Amino acid sequence: MGEKDVTSSKKAKSLKTTDPSQNPYLSHMYDTDVNGYGNAYGNDNYCGNGHSEENTLAHFKRHATTAEQAYKAEDGPNNPFTSQPLTKKYFKILQTRRDLPVNKQRQEFLDMFHSTQILVFVGETGSGKTTQIPQFVLYDDLPHLYGKLVACTQPRRVAAMSVAQRVADEMDVRLGEEVGYSIRFDDKTGPKTILKYMTDGMLLREAMHDRDLTRYSCIILDEAHERTLATDILMGLLKEVALRRPDLKIVIMSATLDAQKFQKYFTIEKEIERRTLRIEAPLLAVPGRTHPVEIFYTQDPEKDYVEAALRTVLQIHATEPEGDILLFLTGEEEIEDACRKIALEADEMIREADAGPLRVYPLYGTLPPAQQQKIFDPAPPPSRPGGPPGRKVIVGTNIAETSLTIDGIVYVVDPGFSKQKVYNPRIRVESLLVSPISKASAQQRAGRAGRTRPGKCFRLYTEAAFKKELIEQTYPEILRSNLANTVLELKKLGVDDLVHFDLMDPPAPETLMRALEELNYLACLDDNGDLTRLGQLASEFPLDPALAVMLISSPEFYCSNEMLSLTALLSVPQIFVRPASARKRADDMKALFMHPDGDHLTMLNAYHAFKGPQAQADPKGFCHQHFLSLRALQSADNVRMQLKRIMEKSELELVSTDFNDKEYYTNIRRALIAGFFMQIAKKDGTGKTYKTVKDDQSVLLHPSTGLSTDSEWVVYNEFVLTTKNYVRTVTSVKAEWLLDIAPIYYDLDTFPKGDIKTALQAAEKKIQRRKAMKGGR
Amino acid sequence: MLKLVDMDTADNPTANPPEDEDEDDYMKMIITEPATPKEKETYTQIRKRKAREAEERGRIKPKAEREAEERTALEASLSASLLSDPELASKNKGLAMMAKMGFKAGSALGSKDNVGARTEPIGISMKEDRGGIGLDSEKKRKFREEVEWEGKRVKAEEGDYRERVRREREEVRLEGQFAAAMRVAERMDGEREETWAFEAREDEETTGWGKKRSISTKPLKQINVLWRDLVRKREEKERDCRMRYDFQQSFSRLPTYDDPNEDADNKKAMGKTQTQYVPVEDLEEEDPELDRFNALEPAERLERLVKHLREEYSYCFWCKYTYPDKEMDECPGLTEEEHD
Repeated sequence: MGEKDVTSSKKAKSLKTTDPSQNPYLSHMYDTDVNGYGNAYGNDNYCGNGHSEENTLAHFKRHATTAEQAYKAEDGPNNPFTSQPLTKKYFKILQTRRDLPVNKQRQEFLDMFHSTQILVFVGETGSGKTTQIPQFVLYDDLPHLYGKLVACTQPRRVAAMSVAQRVADEMDVRLGEEVGYSIRFDDKTGPKTILKYMTDGMLLREAMHDRDLTRYSCIILDEAHERTLATDILMGLLKEVALRRPDLKIVIMSATLDAQKFQKYFTIEKEIERRTLRIEAPLLAVPGRTHPVEIFYTQDPEKDYVEAALRTVLQIHATEPEGDILLFLTGEEEIEDACRKIALEADEMIREADAGPLRVYPLYGTLPPAQQQKIFDPAPPPSRPGGPPGRKVIVGTNIAETSLTIDGIVYVVDPGFSKQKVYNPRIRVESLLVSPISKASAQQRAGRAGRTRPGKCFRLYTEAAFKKELIEQTYPEILRSNLANTVLELKKLGVDDLVHFDLMDPPAPETLMRALEELNYLACLDDNGDLTRLGQLASEFPLDPALAVMLISSPEFYCSNEMLSLTALLSVPQIFVRPASARKRADDMKALFMHPDGDHLTMLNAYHAFKGPQAQADPKGFCHQHFLSLRALQSADNVRMQLKRIMEKSELELVSTDFNDKEYYTNIRRALIAGFFMQIAKKDGTGKTYKTVKDDQSVLLHPSTGLSTDSEWVVYNEFVLTTKNYVRTVTSVKAEWLLDIAPIYYDLDTFPKGDIKTALQAAEKKIQRRKAMKGGR
Repeated sequence: MLKLVDMDTADNPTANPPEDEDEDDYMKMIITEPATPKEKETYTQIRKRKAREAEERGRIKPKAEREAEERTALEASLSASLLSDPELASKNKGLAMMAKMGFKAGSALGSKDNVGARTEPIGISMKEDRGGIGLDSEKKRKFREEVEWEGKRVKAEEGDYRERVRREREEVRLEGQFAAAMRVAERMDGEREETWAFEAREDEETTGWGKKRSISTKPLKQINVLWRDLVRKREEKERDCRMRYDFQQSFSRLPTYDDPNEDADNKKAMGKTQTQYVPVEDLEEEDPELDRFNALEPAERLERLVKHLREEYSYCFWCKYTYPDKEMDECPGLTEEEHD
């Protein structure tokens, strides 16, 4: 009897937590009417008292708030920040908020917050830290009374948007007013905003114009354990800003327990009684809601991790009790393929072995949001009453590792790989590679199984391999990235001594050297390492320096309108869709836009078609018919608009060559070189291979290209490092243009010997001959 | 070092008077290859060479070769530090900027308190298949083990082989010694029989010496098994030889065929008057006693024979000496080793 009660209450609880509308990461998906103040019931109960306390926070003393005071203010009846009556929905959410683990330590948090400038906060996913801590801070920091803001950074755009929406609901305000978000190319904040969720990259950009971040009274760096490039740079900056602004509060939030590194990094030196003391930043840890997870290893290493993963998933479905499965794979293609295979095998199991129904969902970054949301659908019920339980399988990338919380997962299958960005300054290649994960990552993955009840994690490698082959921590992004953009930002941020800039994990010296060299070739930095005018201008654009320089130089080539479109197209996900089920048709459709001289031009053609009146009449239908991604095109449109604004502000002319002019496409191709002269490859002999200029790496044109291999010289947008090296998005160019447009990079006196130099010398002679002929006439 | 070379080349032309130059040049003269006047290529040769070179350039290398080349090129680029080549580094403007900021080659970036800062970029390793984590190292481990095991096996076999060869050589040597001992034994036995026969005849009629030793007609089984093999082999050889001879001599007939019509002269001419060869009577018979003896190890057979010689004839096979008495006082012992 009692037992039954426990299970039923448990079920109710799990039902409550699996309700996606309660998930802070998904709140942007749900149209809620919490913000409609008019239809709030139950206000009458409080109205009488409400008037007497016009502003519940008026008597609060800044940085002296107690949890008790805050609770009282939260209890209403009026919204302490807007003085509006609180809605019923607010109180409903308040109830769940009070259940969150962080809430138990609110006073502890406040005490620590009061006593220190920099605080490290560790809370596992599900502790509620992302939504609650910023609110705890609001009630203590009272930014609205001081004309300041509280900022909370997120590594991902989607997270910033969703969490902002959720917190707006929790605070009973309209998104974009008291609570807003700011991400690249999208800003939803207003004059009333006191809490701003933003990507870490956005805060960094803001710092470029406001080095002391004077708008903010408190900055919260969330998900610091992810160690994104921007977070690392921000930490370095904040260390310096903290010295200049003793009033600024900083909270570093991490989901993993390696917080000592953060504490140590934020050590401050204090002089007490003429003695310098080194004090580490204090730490507050809040346990998450976790259950034990049993970990299983394989006896022997797997020959094919994908095949082994599919086998494991199906075995779990056949033999294990109820509970959903989360499988980690590396990329879109692998995931889609796995989903298909699991679904096929499961159908057979259902038919032949009376297994329960199984639903399979993919999950990766480029998946449309509507499809991403499906992962929160509840598992299917048994096909007949009393039959074997149904379950869902989510096959995802490492998005599912920390940032997304999916309840109901009991089984985790971890093959131990993920796709990671790598950069090597020696070959100047930044690419995504499948690599083994770290031990910390593996632990995070396992933890996903224990969210609802005790779970199991199946690691598809041996225990010895786990101990010996996996590195302790994933390398932070700063060690795996081309730093040209970062260096430009740092320069703009006023960091002149890049060598001694105190980063948590400084990159290899060669990486900085390459970045400086690249910026020098792009004429963004002079030989002394100072920002040039072009560099100043380029740093205004939230783009890679090469793209920014290309855009800034485009008026000289009479095609700034086109380059603006192209830059936008290169900044968004792939616009051409090529579903596995209709490859041929997709290719046929792409052929309609194909330009023989290059993929950049093809993209531009597609965009122009999309912007045509016919397509705009029914954009959705047009995209569907032509296998174009509406989402990518729309976001390209948005990016274009933002960039256009910056162009106008920077007084860069927006011009076009007449479309009927035979130089129309030539100008565009020449303008590409102005930014991408360091990404040129020349055909090697008579085969299909190309050699990259200066770095001398053999590459092939990516199979997706519409360019024939006859082109002697190509400019490429991306180097794809796989077992074969590809260059993707290529357009043919001419050697003469290279010498003409980028004479410093193509200075033949210093150019390394080889075929490429010989070819360039021939081109130079040709130019001289032509000049001589012209001069003679 | 570099400076020294510089001084040498820079100072020599100015410091040394022209008279000394010859001598100087002589001292450090470089002996060049005798200059063969370069043969002028004919037009055809040039054309052929050009065609060959063009073909080489235009040849599409096999995929595997190309991929291997690419991989090695990539590996080489990845492993070479940009700072290691001082000439290249000195030209790098990025590095020059860093130097202005106070960067010293070999040090890391960041705060000096940060001891864990890296100086090398993170390595890149390309995953080429879907092998699980630990598979590569497992493969390597297995491969290593296999190689080790193979090494052991080869070594073990090598030991066996040496041992076998040594044993075989030893056996051959012992067989040789045994054969020699057999000959000694037969001779001694023959001599003794003769002396006995001589003494017996001397007793009856003193016909003196000159008596030829007849072909042994003694049945093999009466010969001591210790050296019977020698006699047997000789008899067999004799028989084979005889049969071959007879076969060749007697064209179409059986050698033993006695044609009654043939006249005596003819017979003589054909070499048939000779006594027909008669083998030892039991040559064709089975000899289990000998077989048993031969099955023994040569060392054993030799030992028995040597013992026999000592006991019967006071002869030491190793001393090669017949001692006057049974005691054989001066002989060091029975075995070969004792005679070393």
